[in-house]
Amino acid sequence: MTTLFIIIKKELTELLRDKKTIINSIVLPTLLMPILMFGAMKVMDMVQKSNEAKSIHIGLVNAPENFMKLVKSDSLNTVTNYNQPVDFKKLIDEETIQTAIVFPKGFETQMDSLESSTLQIYRNGTKDNVNGRVSKIMKTYAATLKEQRMAQLHIAPEKLIPFHENYVEIGEQKELIGKRMGGFIPYIFILTMWGGCLLAGIDLVTGEKERKTIETTLSLPVSKFKILFGKAVVASLLGFIPALLNLVGLIVGLKLIDNIPDTFKLAINEMLNVQSVTMILLLLIPFSLFLSGLIIALVAGASTFKEAQSKASPIIMLLLIPLVLALMPGIEFSWATVFIPVLNIGLGVKEIMAGTINIPQYIAMLVSLIIFAVAAIYFSYKKFSDENAILK
Amino acid sequence: MIQLNQLTKSFTTKTGKGLKKEIQTVNAVNQVSFECKPGRIFSLLGANGAGKTTTLRMIAGIINPTSGSAIVDGVDISQGNDEVKKRIGFLTGSTGLYERLNPDETLDFFGKLYQLPAAELKERKEYLFEKLGINEFRKKRMGQMSTGMKQKVSIARTLIHNPEVLIFDEPTSGLDVITAESIIDLIRESKANNKTVIFSSHIMSEVDLLCDDLAIINKGSIIYNDTFDNFKNDMKAPNLTQEFINRVKEA
Repeated sequence: MTTLFIIIKKELTELLRDKKTIINSIVLPTLLMPILMFGAMKVMDMVQKSNEAKSIHIGLVNAPENFMKLVKSDSLNTVTNYNQPVDFKKLIDEETIQTAIVFPKGFETQMDSLESSTLQIYRNGTKDNVNGRVSKIMKTYAATLKEQRMAQLHIAPEKLIPFHENYVEIGEQKELIGKRMGGFIPYIFILTMWGGCLLAGIDLVTGEKERKTIETTLSLPVSKFKILFGKAVVASLLGFIPALLNLVGLIVGLKLIDNIPDTFKLAINEMLNVQSVTMILLLLIPFSLFLSGLIIALVAGASTFKEAQSKASPIIMLLLIPLVLALMPGIEFSWATVFIPVLNIGLGVKEIMAGTINIPQYIAMLVSLIIFAVAAIYFSYKKFSDENAILK
Repeated sequence: MIQLNQLTKSFTTKTGKGLKKEIQTVNAVNQVSFECKPGRIFSLLGANGAGKTTTLRMIAGIINPTSGSAIVDGVDISQGNDEVKKRIGFLTGSTGLYERLNPDETLDFFGKLYQLPAAELKERKEYLFEKLGINEFRKKRMGQMSTGMKQKVSIARTLIHNPEVLIFDEPTSGLDVITAESIIDLIRESKANNKTVIFSSHIMSEVDLLCDDLAIINKGSIIYNDTFDNFKNDMKAPNLTQEFINRVKEA
């Protein structure tokens, strides 16, 4: 055990003296969540404000007076009237106008005789701001006309509403948000963990080859298994620590950012309590060992950093596919999914955060992850012991 | 004492394109036998790729032989690599140092893994630092050192556990004459302390200076093995280098 600690201490000292490792494993993961949250809020706020301040140019044909009034009630709308339909596609492409609304001739007569009419609206589907604002105008105008018709027909507005829907939410806010948001959290954890394990795994195995120290290490009176296990533990630590710092960053970010609604903040605080955080971290320990074992096994035969990266990088797909599946509706944490690595974490974290985790299933998942970790370490040991590969 | 008996190492390589692959077995070292005695310096000479490094790696327990046996300081290498490794100081061109550690940390790391008691480790470290002139850069990281400085630290880490058997593969390669001289001194001192020393070099003047017994390896097989005095007596060429080249060519 002492030998293992000496190896772990030396490997950690070496790695933590590397600026790249400090930035990738400590600084970035801690700052990632607050920056992402703060940045996303700021950007959304800025985009919304900038959209609200933009004027839109509308082309109108045969527009009735009351519609013109409605459009002009917003001083940011500018209007060009056309006597007849022209090539609006060209005008919109050239940005002379941004949208065009064509009323049929006799529209007002149709309205007076309570007929239904059809309007042509020319638009570019990618211009969300313009289209959103035009839709709003159209809805308001339609509502005004509807009110007028009801008044004309002496129909009380309530008579057109057969019933009101009154939803009584029995699910907890925590469960709702947990199930919706919980799927995204493993994304961040697992990808950060992958990045940390990959960088450390390559540095500890291929890096030793590049720096010509692998033979020095193998000449030590320590079994290859202890050397390998020491490296795997350090690589998994360098994966686990960033994931932990991600979580810390998330909690700190939520405390510092003001714009988050109180109900949401409260639910998140409730979700990230000591019990759920401990349960998540317990899953991440064997998972990080599994990842580092797998990475070491893959890079054991590589003799350069570049070769190691190209050997290990495709595995990211094996992580992303289950993570995407975990976000899909209908895929639930059950006995069928509890033993599938990555997918089980994706689904399990969702349940943990929602407070609805089934404890026997959680234990089964934890045990399966430990078995996967042991298998990955064994696999990496076999590769690490391959003289052709390791001394290449 | 080192005794090698019919030591062989085979490597398998896959050749061919697409799905059609052929497995080839190559003997990097083929039935090598020799003996290195305590208090004597044994030189293993050979061209690049002759099988020197593979032989030395097997003796040091870094790789396992395919067949044959080797007894190192009374321990059969097949009985346990760790026991053999404790008795050996192994230094070759490919045993680099951990660049992000300093000499102090490096020797502590090795000393602890060789299970030296703390006081002995400290005493041994101070002796080697003094002897090799490492004190002035003992806190400097290896990555910031010159080749000479690194080689001194490599020698120190090889000798930290005062091993009975020393394997030096081109220990003075690329060093200035002053550093090389201090290393040659250490090898001589090891001999004087009755250690078993295997020494390999391409610098024939050093071989001439240090060697007691000699073996020449070519294409994985030993083509000459005798005392250095006998080798010199049998020489037909005017110098050691030429004699070595002639013998390899004849083989």
